[in-house]
Amino acid sequence: MDIIFLVLALLALFGATSTIMFSNTVHSALGFVVTVLALAGLYALLNATFLFMVQIIVYAGAIIALLLFVIMFLNIQQSHAPKEPNKYLLMLVSAIAIVPFDYLLFKAFYSMSFAGDANITTKDFGNIKMLGNELFKNWILPFEAISLLLLVALIGAVVLARKKERA
Amino acid sequence: MIEVSFMSYILLAIILFSIGIVGVISRKNIFIIYMSLELMLNSINLILVSLSRYFGSMDGQIIAMMVMAIAAAEAVVFLSLIVSLYRLKHSINIDDYNSLKQKGIL
Repeated sequence: MDIIFLVLALLALFGATSTIMFSNTVHSALGFVVTVLALAGLYALLNATFLFMVQIIVYAGAIIALLLFVIMFLNIQQSHAPKEPNKYLLMLVSAIAIVPFDYLLFKAFYSMSFAGDANITTKDFGNIKMLGNELFKNWILPFEAISLLLLVALIGAVVLARKKERA
Repeated sequence: MIEVSFMSYILLAIILFSIGIVGVISRKNIFIIYMSLELMLNSINLILVSLSRYFGSMDGQIIAMMVMAIAAAEAVVFLSLIVSLYRLKHSINIDDYNSLKQKGIL
Protein backbone atom coordinates (compact mmCIF):
# COMPACT_ATOMS: atom_id res chain seq x y z
CA MET A 1 0.00 0.00 0.00
CA ASP A 2 2.64 2.51 1.04
CA ILE A 3 5.10 1.59 -1.66
CA ILE A 4 2.38 1.87 -4.31
CA PHE A 5 1.49 5.33 -3.03
CA LEU A 6 5.12 6.42 -3.13
CA VAL A 7 5.65 5.15 -6.67
CA LEU A 8 2.45 6.78 -7.94
CA ALA A 9 3.19 10.06 -6.17
CA LEU A 10 6.70 10.19 -7.62
CA LEU A 11 5.32 9.43 -11.08
CA ALA A 12 2.73 12.22 -10.72
CA LEU A 13 5.36 14.73 -9.61
CA PHE A 14 7.74 13.65 -12.39
CA GLY A 15 5.02 14.03 -15.01
CA ALA A 16 3.92 17.43 -13.67
CA THR A 17 7.44 18.87 -13.62
CA SER A 18 8.16 17.53 -17.08
CA THR A 19 4.91 19.13 -18.29
CA ILE A 20 6.03 22.59 -17.32
CA MET A 21 9.75 22.09 -18.10
CA PHE A 22 9.84 20.76 -21.67
CA SER A 23 9.99 23.28 -24.50
CA ASN A 24 8.52 20.82 -27.01
CA THR A 25 4.72 20.91 -26.71
CA VAL A 26 4.15 17.25 -27.59
CA HIS A 27 6.67 16.12 -24.97
CA SER A 28 4.83 18.22 -22.38
CA ALA A 29 1.55 16.59 -23.33
CA LEU A 30 3.10 13.14 -22.91
CA GLY A 31 4.39 14.17 -19.49
CA PHE A 32 0.86 15.23 -18.60
CA VAL A 33 -0.41 11.77 -19.59
CA VAL A 34 1.93 10.27 -16.98
CA THR A 35 0.49 12.57 -14.30
CA VAL A 36 -3.09 11.77 -15.25
CA LEU A 37 -2.51 8.01 -15.17
CA ALA A 38 -0.68 8.23 -11.84
CA LEU A 39 -3.61 10.19 -10.40
CA ALA A 40 -5.96 7.51 -11.71
CA GLY A 41 -3.91 4.96 -9.76
CA LEU A 42 -4.21 7.10 -6.64
CA TYR A 43 -8.00 7.18 -7.07
CA ALA A 44 -7.99 3.40 -7.23
CA LEU A 45 -5.93 3.37 -4.04
CA LEU A 46 -8.60 5.54 -2.40
CA ASN A 47 -11.43 3.10 -3.26
CA ALA A 48 -12.83 5.35 -6.00
CA THR A 49 -13.05 2.62 -8.62
CA PHE A 50 -15.54 4.40 -10.85
CA LEU A 51 -13.54 7.64 -10.80
CA PHE A 52 -10.43 5.61 -11.68
CA MET A 53 -12.19 4.52 -14.85
CA VAL A 54 -13.59 7.97 -15.59
CA GLN A 55 -10.17 9.54 -15.12
CA ILE A 56 -8.59 7.19 -17.64
CA ILE A 57 -11.42 7.44 -20.18
CA VAL A 58 -12.15 11.17 -19.92
CA TYR A 59 -8.69 12.59 -19.25
CA ALA A 60 -6.24 10.23 -20.92
CA GLY A 61 -8.73 9.13 -23.54
CA ALA A 62 -10.60 12.28 -24.47
CA ILE A 63 -8.98 15.48 -23.24
CA ILE A 64 -5.35 14.64 -23.98
CA ALA A 65 -6.27 12.96 -27.26
CA LEU A 66 -8.12 16.16 -28.22
CA LEU A 67 -5.13 18.26 -27.14
CA LEU A 68 -2.67 16.17 -29.18
CA PHE A 69 -5.09 16.25 -32.10
CA VAL A 70 -5.19 20.07 -32.00
CA ILE A 71 -1.39 20.29 -31.71
CA MET A 72 -0.98 18.08 -34.77
CA PHE A 73 -3.89 19.76 -36.62
CA LEU A 74 -2.23 23.15 -36.26
CA ASN A 75 1.10 21.53 -37.19
CA ILE A 76 3.04 23.15 -34.36
CA GLN A 77 6.75 22.71 -35.06
CA GLN A 78 9.55 23.24 -32.61
CA SER A 79 10.34 26.50 -34.44
CA HIS A 80 6.82 27.81 -33.73
CA ALA A 81 7.32 27.48 -29.99
CA PRO A 82 7.76 30.87 -28.34
CA LYS A 83 11.23 31.90 -27.25
CA GLU A 84 11.42 31.85 -23.49
CA PRO A 85 14.90 33.07 -22.54
CA ASN A 86 14.28 33.51 -18.79
CA LYS A 87 11.90 30.60 -18.27
CA TYR A 88 13.84 29.03 -15.39
CA LEU A 89 14.29 32.33 -13.58
CA LEU A 90 10.53 32.96 -13.75
CA MET A 91 9.89 29.42 -12.50
CA LEU A 92 12.21 29.94 -9.56
CA VAL A 93 10.68 33.30 -8.65
CA SER A 94 7.11 32.04 -8.89
CA ALA A 95 7.96 28.88 -6.96
CA ILE A 96 9.34 31.03 -4.15
CA ALA A 97 6.34 33.35 -4.31
CA ILE A 98 3.92 30.42 -4.02
CA VAL A 99 5.46 29.06 -0.80
CA PRO A 100 3.43 31.20 1.68
CA PHE A 101 0.19 30.14 -0.04
CA ASP A 102 1.25 26.49 0.21
CA TYR A 103 2.08 26.95 3.86
CA LEU A 104 -1.37 28.46 4.49
CA LEU A 105 -3.09 25.54 2.71
CA PHE A 106 -1.00 23.00 4.58
CA LYS A 107 -1.76 24.61 7.94
CA ALA A 108 -5.47 24.71 7.11
CA PHE A 109 -5.57 21.02 6.28
CA TYR A 110 -3.24 20.13 9.13
CA SER A 111 -5.56 21.78 11.63
CA MET A 112 -8.31 19.40 10.48
CA SER A 113 -6.09 16.77 12.18
CA PHE A 114 -6.58 13.60 10.21
CA ALA A 115 -5.69 11.43 13.16
CA GLY A 116 -5.78 7.68 12.85
CA ASP A 117 -7.48 5.72 10.15
CA ALA A 118 -10.29 6.71 7.86
CA ASN A 119 -13.91 5.92 8.50
CA ILE A 120 -14.78 2.32 7.88
CA THR A 121 -16.76 2.03 4.69
CA THR A 122 -18.72 -0.75 3.11
CA LYS A 123 -17.23 -2.94 0.43
CA ASP A 124 -19.08 -1.24 -2.42
CA PHE A 125 -17.89 2.27 -1.47
CA GLY A 126 -17.03 4.18 -4.63
CA ASN A 127 -18.32 1.71 -7.16
CA ILE A 128 -20.77 2.63 -9.85
CA LYS A 129 -23.90 1.47 -8.02
CA MET A 130 -23.32 3.60 -4.93
CA LEU A 131 -22.23 6.59 -6.99
CA GLY A 132 -25.25 6.32 -9.26
CA ASN A 133 -27.62 6.04 -6.28
CA GLU A 134 -26.15 9.15 -4.70
CA LEU A 135 -26.04 11.01 -8.01
CA PHE A 136 -29.65 10.39 -8.99
CA LYS A 137 -31.11 10.80 -5.49
CA ASN A 138 -29.39 13.86 -4.07
CA TRP A 139 -27.50 15.45 -6.97
CA ILE A 140 -30.04 15.30 -9.76
CA LEU A 141 -30.25 19.08 -10.33
CA PRO A 142 -26.48 19.63 -10.65
CA PHE A 143 -26.35 16.60 -12.92
CA GLU A 144 -28.91 18.12 -15.28
CA ALA A 145 -27.11 21.47 -15.13
CA ILE A 146 -23.87 19.72 -16.15
CA SER A 147 -25.60 18.13 -19.12
CA LEU A 148 -26.86 21.55 -20.21
CA LEU A 149 -23.32 22.93 -19.80
CA LEU A 150 -21.91 20.19 -22.02
CA LEU A 151 -24.48 21.01 -24.70
CA VAL A 152 -23.54 24.70 -24.54
CA ALA A 153 -19.84 23.81 -24.78
CA LEU A 154 -20.52 21.62 -27.81
CA ILE A 155 -22.37 24.39 -29.67
CA GLY A 156 -19.80 26.98 -28.58
CA ALA A 157 -16.89 24.90 -29.87
CA VAL A 158 -18.55 24.43 -33.25
CA VAL A 159 -19.32 28.15 -33.54
CA LEU A 160 -15.86 29.30 -32.40
CA ALA A 161 -13.68 26.99 -34.45
CA ARG A 162 -15.44 27.06 -37.83
CA LYS A 163 -14.01 29.01 -40.72
CA LYS A 164 -15.51 32.46 -41.16
CA GLU A 165 -17.04 32.83 -44.61
CA ARG A 166 -15.94 35.88 -46.49
CA ALA A 167 -19.23 37.24 -47.73
CA MET B 1 8.41 2.18 6.06
CA ILE B 2 6.85 5.58 5.78
CA GLU B 3 3.36 5.75 7.18
CA VAL B 4 0.94 6.97 4.52
CA SER B 5 -1.71 9.05 6.18
CA PHE B 6 -4.23 11.30 4.53
CA MET B 7 -1.88 14.24 4.90
CA SER B 8 0.34 12.62 2.26
CA TYR B 9 -2.44 12.80 -0.30
CA ILE B 10 -3.17 16.41 0.67
CA LEU B 11 0.53 17.29 0.49
CA LEU B 12 0.86 15.71 -2.96
CA ALA B 13 -2.20 17.62 -4.16
CA ILE B 14 -0.83 20.91 -2.80
CA ILE B 15 2.51 20.33 -4.56
CA LEU B 16 0.78 19.48 -7.85
CA PHE B 17 -1.38 22.61 -7.55
CA SER B 18 1.71 24.77 -7.01
CA ILE B 19 3.43 23.19 -10.02
CA GLY B 20 0.34 24.14 -12.04
CA ILE B 21 0.49 27.75 -10.80
CA VAL B 22 4.22 27.93 -11.58
CA GLY B 23 3.53 26.66 -15.10
CA VAL B 24 0.81 29.24 -15.68
CA ILE B 25 3.03 32.08 -14.46
CA SER B 26 6.31 31.17 -16.13
CA ARG B 27 5.48 29.75 -19.57
CA LYS B 28 4.41 31.51 -22.76
CA ASN B 29 3.25 28.52 -24.79
CA ILE B 30 -0.56 28.53 -24.70
CA PHE B 31 -0.78 24.72 -24.74
CA ILE B 32 1.47 24.39 -21.71
CA ILE B 33 -0.61 27.00 -19.87
CA TYR B 34 -3.70 24.93 -20.69
CA MET B 35 -2.07 21.77 -19.37
CA SER B 36 -1.08 23.57 -16.16
CA LEU B 37 -4.71 24.62 -15.67
CA GLU B 38 -5.78 20.99 -16.10
CA LEU B 39 -3.12 19.98 -13.59
CA MET B 40 -4.62 22.33 -11.01
CA LEU B 41 -8.10 20.86 -11.62
CA ASN B 42 -6.67 17.36 -11.21
CA SER B 43 -5.00 18.20 -7.91
CA ILE B 44 -8.28 19.60 -6.56
CA ASN B 45 -9.92 16.33 -7.61
CA LEU B 46 -7.31 14.41 -5.65
CA ILE B 47 -8.12 16.42 -2.51
CA LEU B 48 -11.86 15.83 -3.03
CA VAL B 49 -11.48 12.08 -3.52
CA SER B 50 -9.16 11.61 -0.54
CA LEU B 51 -11.46 13.60 1.76
CA SER B 52 -14.40 11.58 0.47
CA ARG B 53 -12.57 8.39 1.44
CA TYR B 54 -11.61 9.81 4.81
CA PHE B 55 -15.07 10.88 5.83
CA GLY B 56 -16.76 7.87 4.23
CA SER B 57 -19.18 9.96 2.20
CA MET B 58 -19.78 9.81 -1.54
CA ASP B 59 -20.27 13.57 -1.96
CA GLY B 60 -16.61 14.29 -2.64
CA GLN B 61 -16.44 11.76 -5.44
CA ILE B 62 -19.57 13.20 -7.04
CA ILE B 63 -18.14 16.72 -6.93
CA ALA B 64 -14.92 15.34 -8.42
CA MET B 65 -16.90 13.79 -11.26
CA MET B 66 -18.61 17.13 -11.91
CA VAL B 67 -15.23 18.87 -11.95
CA MET B 68 -14.15 16.35 -14.59
CA ALA B 69 -17.24 17.14 -16.69
CA ILE B 70 -16.56 20.86 -16.40
CA ALA B 71 -12.92 20.23 -17.33
CA ALA B 72 -14.06 18.38 -20.46
CA ALA B 73 -16.37 21.25 -21.45
CA GLU B 74 -13.58 23.74 -20.72
CA ALA B 75 -11.14 21.70 -22.84
CA VAL B 76 -13.43 21.84 -25.85
CA VAL B 77 -14.02 25.59 -25.65
CA PHE B 78 -10.37 26.39 -24.86
CA LEU B 79 -9.00 24.33 -27.73
CA SER B 80 -11.46 25.75 -30.25
CA LEU B 81 -10.50 29.24 -29.08
CA ILE B 82 -6.85 28.32 -29.62
CA VAL B 83 -7.66 27.09 -33.14
CA SER B 84 -9.42 30.31 -34.10
CA LEU B 85 -6.70 32.45 -32.47
CA TYR B 86 -4.01 30.51 -34.33
CA ARG B 87 -5.83 31.18 -37.62
CA LEU B 88 -5.80 34.88 -36.78
CA LYS B 89 -2.27 35.33 -35.42
CA HIS B 90 -0.27 32.27 -36.62
CA SER B 91 1.36 32.03 -33.21
CA ILE B 92 0.99 30.13 -29.95
CA ASN B 93 2.84 32.76 -27.94
CA ILE B 94 0.50 34.43 -25.45
CA ASP B 95 2.35 37.73 -25.89
CA ASP B 96 0.90 37.94 -29.40
CA TYR B 97 -2.69 37.70 -28.17
CA ASN B 98 -3.00 41.37 -27.28
CA SER B 99 -5.91 42.51 -29.42
CA LEU B 100 -7.86 43.78 -26.40
CA LYS B 101 -4.91 45.62 -24.90
CA GLN B 102 -5.25 49.38 -24.70
CA LYS B 103 -2.41 51.20 -26.38
CA GLY B 104 -0.48 53.55 -24.16
CA ILE B 105 -0.84 51.55 -20.96
CA LEU B 106 2.35 49.63 -20.20
